[in-house]
Amino acid sequence: MTEYLIRRAVQSVLVLFLVSVISFALMHAAPGGPLMVMLPKGGSQQAILAQEKNAGLLDPMPIQYLHWLGQLLHGNLGYTYKNHVPVGQILWPTVGNTLILMGVAWVLSLLIAIPWGIYNSTRTYGISDNISTVLAYLGFAMPAFWFGILLQEFLSLDLNWFPLSDMYSMNKQGNIGDLIWHLILPVCVLVLVFLASYLKYSRASMLEVLHMDYVRTARAKGAPEKHVIYRHALRNALIPIITVLGLDLPNLVSGAALTENVFNWPGMGRLFVEMAFAREYAVLMAITMLGAVFVVIGNLLADILYAIVDPRVQLGKKGGTAA
Amino acid sequence: MSQTPVSTDVVETAQLDPTKMDFSAEGSAAPPTSLTKIAVRKFVSNPFAIFGAIILAIFVVMCAFAPLFTHFKPAAIDMMNASVPPGTDGHLLGTDEIGRDVFARLLYGGRVSLIVGFCVAFCAVVLGTLIGAVAGYFGGWVDMVLMRLVDVMNSIPALFLNILVLSLFGSGFWLMITILSLTSWMGVARLVRGTFLQLREMQYVQAARAIGVSNWSIITKHLIRNATAPIIVNATLQIGNAILTESALSYLGLGVQPPQTSWGLMLNNAQEFMLTNPMEAVYPGLCILLVVLSINFIGDSLRDAIDPRTKVKISRRRLKKWRNRFSKSGI
Repeated sequence: MTEYLIRRAVQSVLVLFLVSVISFALMHAAPGGPLMVMLPKGGSQQAILAQEKNAGLLDPMPIQYLHWLGQLLHGNLGYTYKNHVPVGQILWPTVGNTLILMGVAWVLSLLIAIPWGIYNSTRTYGISDNISTVLAYLGFAMPAFWFGILLQEFLSLDLNWFPLSDMYSMNKQGNIGDLIWHLILPVCVLVLVFLASYLKYSRASMLEVLHMDYVRTARAKGAPEKHVIYRHALRNALIPIITVLGLDLPNLVSGAALTENVFNWPGMGRLFVEMAFAREYAVLMAITMLGAVFVVIGNLLADILYAIVDPRVQLGKKGGTAA
Repeated sequence: MSQTPVSTDVVETAQLDPTKMDFSAEGSAAPPTSLTKIAVRKFVSNPFAIFGAIILAIFVVMCAFAPLFTHFKPAAIDMMNASVPPGTDGHLLGTDEIGRDVFARLLYGGRVSLIVGFCVAFCAVVLGTLIGAVAGYFGGWVDMVLMRLVDVMNSIPALFLNILVLSLFGSGFWLMITILSLTSWMGVARLVRGTFLQLREMQYVQAARAIGVSNWSIITKHLIRNATAPIIVNATLQIGNAILTESALSYLGLGVQPPQTSWGLMLNNAQEFMLTNPMEAVYPGLCILLVVLSINFIGDSLRDAIDPRTKVKISRRRLKKWRNRFSKSGI
C-alpha cells in the first residue's frame, strides 16, 4: 500500500510537471506578448522592448519557465502584468467563492441523488424512475448555461423571486441570508448537471447489487426489506459511487466556469475567462495548475477510498486503475 | 464481421430459438440472421432511436438547405423591423434587437454548430483510435508513453484548455474544431487500447502474425474491425458533447465571430437583451437541447443494439404473422 502510494505520488508529480510545461509553452507560443495589451496605444517599439526586458520576457523560454517554477516552489505564484498585484491575492478569494457554490450544489445533489436512486432501483420503471430518467436525459443534453439564462429570465426578471446575478446585493457584503438568496439559482443549475450522472450511477450500481446472491440469501433468510436494502445492498452499491465522487472532485473547481459567467459569480471560472481575455499569463498558469492538482488529487483519492471501503481491493497488487 | 467466432455463435443460438428461426424462404419477414442484421433490427424497433433519427434528420436537412426554408439573410440588419414579434412580415420567429431574422439565424447558426459537432467527433475518434491502437497493439514503452500523454491531457481541465487556446490564438471556426478535437480524443484512445489489449492475444491475430501479415494490416484489417461497434457508439456521443462545448465556448465569445453565428453565440446575444426579447434566449437553447438529446438517443440505442445481451424486440403484430406462417407451413 505504502509502496503503491509512493509510486502514484511520483507519477502524479510527473504528470503535473508535464502539464505545467505544456501550458507554459502554449501561453508563450501565443502571438502578441502581454505587454502589447497593457501598454497605452501609440507606445513606441522601444518602450515595449524595454518593458519586456524589465519583466524578463525576453529571456529564452526555458529560462523563463525555470524562473517561474522556482518562484512557484517558493510559494510565489507571480504578479499580474497590470497593476503588479500578487496573483494569490486575486486568486484565493475566487477559489473560496467557487468552493461555496460548488460545495453546496454537490452536497445537495448527493443528498437528493443517492436516496432517490435507491428508491428507483427498488421500483424500476415506475413513475419516479421515469421522472428521474427524463431528468437525467435533460441534464446530459441541455447546455447548463442555457438553463441558467432561462432561470434568470423567468424566475428573476419576470417573477422577481430571485436576484439576477452576483454573490451579494449592494451594501450587503457578508450577509449569510443574502448569500443564500443569491445561491439558489446557480445551485439549481449545477444540481441538475450533477443529478443527471449521480442518479444514473446510484440506480445502476444498486440494481447491479440487488441481483447478487447475497441479497437473495438475505431475503431468503427472512430479513426485512429495509434491512436487505440498507445493510446488505447499499453498502456494496456505494463502492462504485464513491469512486465516481473522487473522479468528480476536479469538477468542483472547473465545472462551474460557465454557470459563474452566467450569474456573474466572482469565482475561479469567471476569473479564468476574464484573465484569458486580458492575457494575464501568471493568473492563467496558476488556475490551470490548480485545476490539474485537483484532478490528480481526485484520482488518487478515488483509488485510496476505493481500497478503504472495499477490503477486497488491494492497491498495488492489481496494478491500480489509472496506472 | 460474420467470419469471427463470436458472430457464428450468435447465429447458431439464434437458430435454436423458435422466435428467431430462419424464415428466409418466406420472404421479407425473415428474422435477422447476422450480427449486423440483428443490430439493425434492434435499432429500428427502438422508438427512441427512431425519434432521435427523425429529429436529427430534420435539423440536418433544414440547416444544410437553409436558403430553401427562409429567404432572409442571417446577418442582414434591418433597424426598421427590430424586435418584431413572431409572424410579422414573414419573420417566422420575429427579429432580434437589430432586425435580423431569428429563424434564419437559427438555421445558419445551426450549420456551424452541427459542422463543428460532426467534424470534432470525426477527428477525435480518428485520433483516439490511432493512438489507442498503437498503444494497445505494441504495448511496452510505447503504451507507457502514450498513456502518460492521456493522463496529462486528462489532468488539464478541458474547458480551461479550450478557453486558453481560443483566447490566446484568436478564436475562429477551424481553430475551434482543432482544439476541441485535441481535447476530446482521450476517451476513445482508452477504449480502443483496452479492446486491443484483449484482441491482440486472440488466435486469429497470432495466426495472422505467423503467416507474416504486417503490423499495419493486422491493426487495420483485423483489430479495428472487431472494435468498430464500441467506437461508433462513442463517436455518436462525442458529437453531442462537441455541440455542447461549442455552444459554451461561443457563449463566452470565444467561438465563431460575428457576422457568422452559432447557437451558442445567439445565446450570448440573447442574454444582453433579455428584457426586450425574452423568447430569443429560448429558441437556440431549445435547438441545442433537441439535437443533443436526439444524438444521445441514437447513441444509447446503438449501444443497446450492438449489445448481444439485449433481446430483439418483436412487435406483437409481427409475432402473430410469424406464428400464422409457422402453423401454415405444417411444421
